[in-house]
Amino acid sequence: MNRLPTLARLGALLLALLSSLACAPARAADERTLVLYNWAEYMPRPVLKQFTKETGIKVRYSTYDNNEAMFAKLKAVEASGGYDLVVPSSYYVTRMRAAGMLRPLDKDRLPNLKNLDPRLLDKPYDPGNAYSVPYLWGASGIAVDSARIDPATVTSWADLWKPEYRGRLMLLDDLREVFGIALKLDGRSINSRDPDEIRAAYEKLLELRPNVKVFNAESPKSVLLSGEVRIGQIYNGEAWMAEQANPKIRFVIPKEGPLLWVDNLVIPKSARHVEEAHAFIDFVLRPEIAKQIAEEVGYTTPNLAARALLAKKVRDSRTAYPSDADLERGEFQTDVGDALPLYEQYWSKLKAAR
Amino acid sequence: MSDHALFKRVAIGTIAVWLLLFAFAPNLMVVIASFLTRGESEFLVWTPTTDAYARMLDPLYLHVFWNSFYLSAMTTLLCLVIGYPFAYLIARANPAVRPYLLLLVIIPFWTSSLVRTYAMIVILNTNGLLNTLLQSLGLIDEPLELLYTDGAVIAGLVYTLLPFMVLPLYAAIEKLDWRLVEAARDLGARKVRTFASVIIPLTSPGIVAGCMLVFLPGLGMFYVADFLGGSKTTLIGNLIQRQFLSARDWPFGSAASVTLTIVMGLMIGLYLLAAKRANAKVEV
Repeated sequence: MNRLPTLARLGALLLALLSSLACAPARAADERTLVLYNWAEYMPRPVLKQFTKETGIKVRYSTYDNNEAMFAKLKAVEASGGYDLVVPSSYYVTRMRAAGMLRPLDKDRLPNLKNLDPRLLDKPYDPGNAYSVPYLWGASGIAVDSARIDPATVTSWADLWKPEYRGRLMLLDDLREVFGIALKLDGRSINSRDPDEIRAAYEKLLELRPNVKVFNAESPKSVLLSGEVRIGQIYNGEAWMAEQANPKIRFVIPKEGPLLWVDNLVIPKSARHVEEAHAFIDFVLRPEIAKQIAEEVGYTTPNLAARALLAKKVRDSRTAYPSDADLERGEFQTDVGDALPLYEQYWSKLKAAR
Repeated sequence: MSDHALFKRVAIGTIAVWLLLFAFAPNLMVVIASFLTRGESEFLVWTPTTDAYARMLDPLYLHVFWNSFYLSAMTTLLCLVIGYPFAYLIARANPAVRPYLLLLVIIPFWTSSLVRTYAMIVILNTNGLLNTLLQSLGLIDEPLELLYTDGAVIAGLVYTLLPFMVLPLYAAIEKLDWRLVEAARDLGARKVRTFASVIIPLTSPGIVAGCMLVFLPGLGMFYVADFLGGSKTTLIGNLIQRQFLSARDWPFGSAASVTLTIVMGLMIGLYLLAAKRANAKVEV
């Protein structure tokens, strides 16, 4: 027995093993199942249990913590059809729609769509919501520690540039959010693809850089609550939680308007359980289920009927539920396509600047 | 064929296939990706180019490399300064307690380094343990700004990587032939001279190994810079991660990764060379 055949045989064995693993999901497809791919910590377990109990549809659940990772995985299984329902952010809906990766929704199967807030429907990232249903959404604004800064002095994104905040400011560690501030102040779209506008935004941010003490997107509320910064850019959901922990924290929606994001339920074109996916979307759109999700996850629900069920303190809070005027002035993130590497380059430069 | 030979073949074969599939093939893919073009709906377009490498020469990215090397070098130096006496004391301790002392060095490994980095945040916070302690002792009036500075990043790196310095140093010092030290003393060398001319050269393989084990991982530990430095410094690790997870620029991320691999490879080559020389000297 020489060496090579042993290796080859082992290799064949391993390949056989791998391909049998790859076939496993295909066999499971015969029974009524739903393969749900969602952000981590974004769906309470009891909701899934109740769905299975009512419909008999088994839910296979896996999670991601990054749009790009989700996109890559979806691309990888496109041919075999791994996932039936995913939850991309608004700008990824644009991108996936453009790439032909999404299946148009059958709205006759979604009677509970009527519960959704019309202010969050038919947005530029998916006109007419042909492919996507809002799941949770949010707005980023400014959080202020009122023990150390008078919230009345903070009304605009431009206030972050004040010299007295030198080394005291937090920004979200997300290039689209940070460039959004500067683009908005320049009166541009936060989704600009124009190299000159992006450069102008970078130059503006360079002046803001000395104020920045920390970039954080994972848990901006903890940075604020620890007293490490006294003012910062923050998502409203995080600001709401911070307000609960420390009543001195105030959330301000700048007069130029907030930056808005929506995470959406979409059905990939490669989905195998389209009917089950529709059933699940409609289930999640039920007021009491949407309420359960909003309470558990802590972000803002686009479901008006669910909002009405929430505690008065929550549903009347302008932090948790920004006003009509706030939404009016806000802008939703869409995909910036080819301009992204340019943003990334300026982002690296901005961080490297001292 | 005997069972023993079969076992040997299967074991080696498994490892070979494993390495081929999970180390060689992915790395080859990274190298190939670094010569392709970024695509919009696909990740890569099959247009060969060396663009990604040309972009690496941008002063911005040289700055990123320099920054990473600087932080890592400072960390290595501090680890050496702290780790050497540490390892020396353990190696010279009573043989009965030595295993326990080593155990104490290893115990922090049982906790994820991510968790330990979070613990550093709790210590260095404005209202954290250290500031509270200093204030209650009356040493400072105002809390010190410790978190989100380069100092915090280096402290975090040193804390995480110190055992990698101590263990090889311990191994080298423990193996040391103390008769040579005695001989040096008998011949009239003072303590400092003995240390500089005898102990250090004899333990140099341990020093070099420890430095490599600290320096190389130090270049890649981007999460320490993110958590303790407030994400303000871009290290090579951050740069690569962002190309894949936010900029969708796989060719550039791959090129940065290949460059880093080559630089690390060169350093390991230098290490092997140094180790060989040191060994040759000892044998002479």
